[in-house]
Amino acid sequence: MSADVSAAGPTMGRRDFLKALVFISGAVVVAGMLRGLDFLMPPEIGVTAFPRLLLVDENGNPIKASELPVNADPKIAIFPYPLNNEPSFLFNLGDSSGKPVKIPPTTVVVPQTGATYEAPGGVGPYGSIVAFSAICQHLGCQFPELTFYPPGHKAITAKGFLDRVINCSCHGSTYDPYKGGAVVTGPTERPLPSVVLEWDPNTDYLYAVKMVGPVIYGHPGYTTPTPKVLANPLGDLQGGSPIKGKTTAVTFHTNPAATG
Amino acid sequence: MSKRSITDWFAEVFHLKDTPFMGVPDYMFSVEHWLGGIAASALAWQILTGLLLLFYYEPSDAYTSTMGIINTVPFGSIILSSHLYGAYVMIIAVYLHGLYIMFNGGYKKPRGLQWVLGVLLFALTLGVAFIGYSLTGDVLATDAVDVGKGILTSLGLQSLIPVLFGNGTQLDLFSRLLAWHITIAAAIILFFLIHFYLAEQNGLMPRGRDVGYKAPAVINKADPSLKPWWPRNFVYMVGLAFMVWGIIVLAPSILALPSVYHNIPILFSPYPGPSPTSPQAASVPAYPPWFFLFMYKMADMPFGLSKDVIIGMILPLVILLLIPAFDRSEHLHPMDRPGITALGLIGLTWLIELSVWSVLQPGVPVSPSWAAVVMLPPLLIIAVGVYAIHRFVWPKARDKALNGNAKAGEGKKEWALSKSAASALGYIAGIWAIIDIALSLALNPLAAGPYIGLLWGSALLSLSAAVFSYFYASYL
Ligand code: HEM
Ligand code: FES
Repeated sequence: MSADVSAAGPTMGRRDFLKALVFISGAVVVAGMLRGLDFLMPPEIGVTAFPRLLLVDENGNPIKASELPVNADPKIAIFPYPLNNEPSFLFNLGDSSGKPVKIPPTTVVVPQTGATYEAPGGVGPYGSIVAFSAICQHLGCQFPELTFYPPGHKAITAKGFLDRVINCSCHGSTYDPYKGGAVVTGPTERPLPSVVLEWDPNTDYLYAVKMVGPVIYGHPGYTTPTPKVLANPLGDLQGGSPIKGKTTAVTFHTNPAATG
Repeated sequence: MSKRSITDWFAEVFHLKDTPFMGVPDYMFSVEHWLGGIAASALAWQILTGLLLLFYYEPSDAYTSTMGIINTVPFGSIILSSHLYGAYVMIIAVYLHGLYIMFNGGYKKPRGLQWVLGVLLFALTLGVAFIGYSLTGDVLATDAVDVGKGILTSLGLQSLIPVLFGNGTQLDLFSRLLAWHITIAAAIILFFLIHFYLAEQNGLMPRGRDVGYKAPAVINKADPSLKPWWPRNFVYMVGLAFMVWGIIVLAPSILALPSVYHNIPILFSPYPGPSPTSPQAASVPAYPPWFFLFMYKMADMPFGLSKDVIIGMILPLVILLLIPAFDRSEHLHPMDRPGITALGLIGLTWLIELSVWSVLQPGVPVSPSWAAVVMLPPLLIIAVGVYAIHRFVWPKARDKALNGNAKAGEGKKEWALSKSAASALGYIAGIWAIIDIALSLALNPLAAGPYIGLLWGSALLSLSAAVFSYFYASYL
């Protein structure tokens, strides 16, 4: 090639210039069209506001608050909220004799930022029913790795043997469901998000109405628990398919912490 | 370091100066020698966009996921519609490539196997495009699949229906269509590689007059006057690929413009048709994709479906495959091979006639007399005409035609465009491409898909023009 270029003589400089322009133009076109890789960014799905969903069993019959097993023993209740890929625990918390206990509203601290939020108290006839995201805020393990240890069934934690906690066997994070899902031991730096429940005393039905606390693990903004996010974690509404209809189904699973 | 070193560096790391690819004489830098290259460029585009579509296509929800790609995924409308038009361009290129070779005797020694692979590639290309078209799950796709089943049954091949189209559930249907689509695409890639390898080994076919219009037509690759493959063929191929991609992106984007879209006949619509369950579905004629229109009319012929299919699809393929065996003479000029020339012309005429007829009277049964009125005259006129020319005119004209051709070729060296004009064109085109891309950055890929496609297509075409101008100014 060098031969035919030098043979070209006087026009060589000009031709080099054209070549440079063709290169630049090619680079610009290719780079500009690489923007098309935005194609790989899936469209957002989700909902725009927290839905108010009636909790029902697998057959579609409403769950009665007064019939919910206490202490997730031997069965633990799980339902999706607010999206299909966001499982939550439904607890009827009690003491060691299996009697429901009243759970007062409480201020929860987020160790990651020091910010706080108000976790709702329990609902139901005894004020003992609460619900939390069932996805560990550390690295996302779910039930059965993340589960509730009823009174008398102790988890091995960094603070010794503890019962009445939610413990994650993946890396040992521990949460306190009696205290709004607050962090008991790391490695997690964020509490478990709370599902805000409503109880209708006339029908004994339960409704999930919204979330408070950090965004559910893996959804947009879950690593930035600012006070604004904690009060209204809208990120929960994106990154999963919406639940169809006005109900969400609670399923019951054997709790390995209670039987093991 | 001079600017030149980038290209030299590039050539060095890829050992481009030692590639086994052959350099070609100047006269071959002309589109009829690059029709295969056009098909290959379109294939490359199909692979790229097809793989992207795989990220979103859901066999469990074929139509909805397809419309979702168009309406909710950034750049999705461009990717999907250019995958469709890429298929169209590839099919047209394969047709032209094949016809050019058929008329010029390119299937003769030593290129018999190349021809056979080419015919298989042609059939596979039509097949993969048919299946791709069915993947969308629109009303036309549903019809196409039903007709496919009928055709298999008429050939006594109903046991193949579950293999191709599954066990009857929608999920199995679209899962299988997708698997077949990709399997056939993979086969095309493999066959193409062998086809290309053979083309390089046999050498590209020189023009007739250089070999006295006699097979075997080969170029002496050791000829020192042949300039090497790098950089001339490389640069030309790059310019060609950008041109093809430009057309593939531009054409459907124009058709998708809001002011144009509603006036586009469904056969050329850049997007899928209505869903088979929608009320509009009833008003859509049951057209197959346009490249199978000929078969749609064949199926209306009065011979019975199985004969229609054999005459319309199987027989032509068998004849094409056997052409190198029929015509073993050393002649290359079309007038020295009247049989093949007439065959090609008749086939092409019938193809066009049947396709147009199918658009005008979709699915209307053909009576024997109409079949004769439409099909026989071209057969007779072409057969008699070609034979008469070959027998009575050609013997006197032959010498002059073959040598006169040579002289005309000699004179062709006078190029119309001066080199500085070509350079100027190159600058304008290169800058134009940059402007197009800059403008496209201002547009939203979801709301303004067709406009971005317009600018991208224009940018690719301009870039191609710049590359060709550079090629022209530097290498010819
Ligand atoms: C590796 C190569 C390829 C892959 C992975 C691929 C993948 C796909 C996918 C996933 C679709 C479905 C799009 C949808 O309906 O949403 C599709 C459609 C289609 N494909 Fe391909 N494809 C490939 C090569 C080809 C080739 C070589 C051709 C034709 C020559 C072709 C022709 C088509 C056609 C005509 C459609 C329908 C497009 C429409 O109606 O808009 N594909 N392809
Ligand atoms: S994921 Fe639960 S502790 Fe790490």
